[in-house]
Amino acid sequence: MVTAASEMELFLPKSYDIFWSLVILIIVAVFFYKFFLPKFQAVFDERAAKIEGGIAKAEQAQKDADEAKAKYEAQLSTARVEASKIRDDARAEASHIIADARSRAESDAAQITATAQRSIESQQQQALVSLKGEVGVLATALAGKILGSKLENDDVQSSMIDQMIADMDSDKK
Amino acid sequence: MIGALGEGMLTIADGPEMPSINDFLPDPFVFQGTPFAINRIILVRILATIIMMLVLGITASRAKLIPGRWQGAVEWLIEFVRDNIVYQVMGELRGKRYVPMITTVFCTLLVFNLCGIIPGFNIAASASVTLPLVFAMWCFCQYWIAGIREKGLGHFLRDEIFPKGVPAPIYILLSPIQLLELLIIRPFSLTIRLFANMVSGHLILALCLSATQFFLIDVANKLMMPFGIITFAAGMFMFLFEALVACLQAYIFAILTTAYINMSYPEID
Repeated sequence: MVTAASEMELFLPKSYDIFWSLVILIIVAVFFYKFFLPKFQAVFDERAAKIEGGIAKAEQAQKDADEAKAKYEAQLSTARVEASKIRDDARAEASHIIADARSRAESDAAQITATAQRSIESQQQQALVSLKGEVGVLATALAGKILGSKLENDDVQSSMIDQMIADMDSDKK
Repeated sequence: MIGALGEGMLTIADGPEMPSINDFLPDPFVFQGTPFAINRIILVRILATIIMMLVLGITASRAKLIPGRWQGAVEWLIEFVRDNIVYQVMGELRGKRYVPMITTVFCTLLVFNLCGIIPGFNIAASASVTLPLVFAMWCFCQYWIAGIREKGLGHFLRDEIFPKGVPAPIYILLSPIQLLELLIIRPFSLTIRLFANMVSGHLILALCLSATQFFLIDVANKLMMPFGIITFAAGMFMFLFEALVACLQAYIFAILTTAYINMSYPEID
């Protein structure tokens, strides 16, 4: 079974074995060199490019976001300043309006008071005038009754009344 | 050793079908007597090549940017060969040129070695001396080409045969050894290491399993059964061990090929 001849034979390449080993070596080498590894290399390269592209894109996005944030913050602070300015203006205007209204109201009130005063004076005057007439007639009638004689002459009568009123006026004063 | 083991087994029971080195010298069954004759090992080799190229070819042609599990595994293998074998030994600058070669060597030998434990094949496609020899000769050509290209023939031979920093009289001893190593020892050590591993692995595994068959099924005496269980356990162990050896030998072959080529380059860049 185990002979010296076959032991030696084990290490002697046979021609057909050489042929098939070489053929297979060439086939697998061509396969790996020309197809398998280039294919995977392409995938690796594409992946690396994509990852690098992704990183660059992310960096760009980060930069954009930072810029936008800075812009918004600046806008926000301007808006805040503007708002406070508007508030101050409004406050000032409101106090102005109040003061205005107050002064107008005061002047109106003064005017109304003055008008009322005037109307009271004129009514007083009117009342005085009408009272003067009536007092004259009453006084004349009273005096006529007292004197027992009717003052025939209207002119005398009238001058007497006027005289009387003038006296009353001067008394009053 | 195999013979001694075989004899030992024979004294225990006269019967189990012993694996022998004739397993590695099968008779051709087609084209007998021509240089294209095919025997069992060559058939296994052809089938293994076709299967490997189909599987890897389909994987490569369907390779996507976002890998699935299988593609991820194949990519891991490619990156392992590239980074952990080639670039680690040679560096990226020199190594780039040899990545396809080492990938070819590693993947092909891995698949061929594993055929030894694939049911149905049951023999490594690299279990004839010729296949490891052809791969070793490829390595041989590559390190000669690299040496001549990088240093020039004279310079390369001088560096290899008369290493620097050695006292002159030592060259009498050293130079023949160096020359022998350059021409014969490197390729043949690659060849024999791989071949012998495949042969011994097959013999031990086949021995365990045929003994199991004999003790458990063939032999009439049922008292022999425990032996069968022991040999079966040993067979299981050897099966796993052979899987390890198949990977390890492919790795060793690839890394030594890389190292030999790297030795042809000048010491300092």
